[in-house]
Amino acid sequence: MSTGARLVLGGVFVVAGVLKAVDPQSSVAAVGAYQLLPASLATIVGWGLPFAEIALGLLLLAGIATRAVAAVAGLLLVIFIAGVVSAAARGLSIDCGCFGGGGQVNPGETAYGTELVRDVGLLLVAAWLVWKPQSRFALDRSPR
Amino acid sequence: MSNSKNINARERARLAAEQAAARKRDRRILIAVVAGFVLVVVAAGIGFQAWRTYRSPSAVPSSPVSASPVAIATGHPITLGASQAPTTITLYEDFHCPHCADFEEQFGPIIIQAQESGAARVELYPMSFIDEGSAAAANAMACATEAGFGQAYYRGLFANHTLQWNDPQLIELASKIGGSPSEAFQTCVTSKAHADWLSSIDAAAEKNGVAQTPTMLINGKSVDIANLTPDGLESMITNATQR
Repeated sequence: MSTGARLVLGGVFVVAGVLKAVDPQSSVAAVGAYQLLPASLATIVGWGLPFAEIALGLLLLAGIATRAVAAVAGLLLVIFIAGVVSAAARGLSIDCGCFGGGGQVNPGETAYGTELVRDVGLLLVAAWLVWKPQSRFALDRSPR
Repeated sequence: MSNSKNINARERARLAAEQAAARKRDRRILIAVVAGFVLVVVAAGIGFQAWRTYRSPSAVPSSPVSASPVAIATGHPITLGASQAPTTITLYEDFHCPHCADFEEQFGPIIIQAQESGAARVELYPMSFIDEGSAAAANAMACATEAGFGQAYYRGLFANHTLQWNDPQLIELASKIGGSPSEAFQTCVTSKAHADWLSSIDAAAEKNGVAQTPTMLINGKSVDIANLTPDGLESMITNATQR
C-alpha cells in the first residue's frame, strides 16, 4: 500500500514537473493567472516550482526520507488546493496549470471540481505516506 | 549477582540511548542532504529557465516567401503572402502562447507552402494577452512587416518562443533571420510604435468572437485545430483554393 502510494505520488509529481519545466513561459503565465503573486515572484515560482516537483517526485520514487518528503509534497498540495479554491472563489476563469499549460480559459471551461478532487486525492496519498512511510523497494531503512 | 544484573541493564540502556542518538543524527544528516538536493535542483532549474528566457535568439531557415514592405492599418491584420491569393488563412495567435508554437511547428510548413505557391495568403492577428513579451513581440512583428521581412520574422518569433522578448532580443532576431535591423526598425521596436494597433487587433479579435489562440479560419470558416492533421489542412487549403 505504502509502496504504491509512494510510486503514484512520486510519478505524478515528476510528470507534472517535467510537463511544466518544458514550457517556462506558460508555467509563469499559469502562476500569474492566479493573480496571487506580484509579477517578479510569479516568474521565480513559475520557473522553480516545476523543478521542486521533479526533485520531490524523484525522492519519493527512490524512497529517500519518505516521511519528510511526503510531508513537503502534502504542504505543496495544500497550497495548490488553496490556490484553486481562491481562484474559484474570486470567479477567475483559469486552468489550474497543474500539468503544464494553464492560464486563462473561457468562463465555461474551468474544471475546478475535478482539479480539486484530484489534488485532495493526492493529498490523502501524501498523508498516508506521512503516517506509514515505510514501504518496499525504497532506499529508506526497510521495516523491522 | 543482582549488582552485575544492574550493571548489565545500565550498560544496555546506555547502548540503546547511544544508538537512538546515532539514528537521530543520521536522520538529521539525511534530511539536510535531501533538503540540499531539492534546493540545488530548484536553483539549477531557475538558472536554466533564466538562460532559456534571456539568451540570444537562434537563427531559423530563411523563409522563401518574399515580402515587400506592408503598411500597418488600425484594426486590420498583417497580410503575409500574395494579396490576390484565392484562399485566405486567418490566424489569431499570441507569440507566447505555447499551443501556437506547437501549431506553427506542426502546420507552419504547410501554410508557408500554400503561400509560396500563391494559393493562400495569411491574415495574421498577433494578439498580446499573455504577458509583456507577447506585446513586445507583436509590436516587433508589425515593425518587421513594415520593414519587409515580416514572414521570416514571424517564423523566427515562433521558433524562439521560450524567449522573453526584450528589445535587444527582438532586434537581434531581425539580423538572425536575414532581415536588416535598420535604425527605423530599432526605433519602432524600442518605442513600441504600434501599441495602439495592438489594442485595435485585440479589440478586433474580441469583436470577431475569438476567445482562444491559436484560432484559424480558412476563407472565413473556422477550423477545428484540435482534430486537425497536416494532411487534413493541406486538403482543406486545396479544396478552398479550387472553389
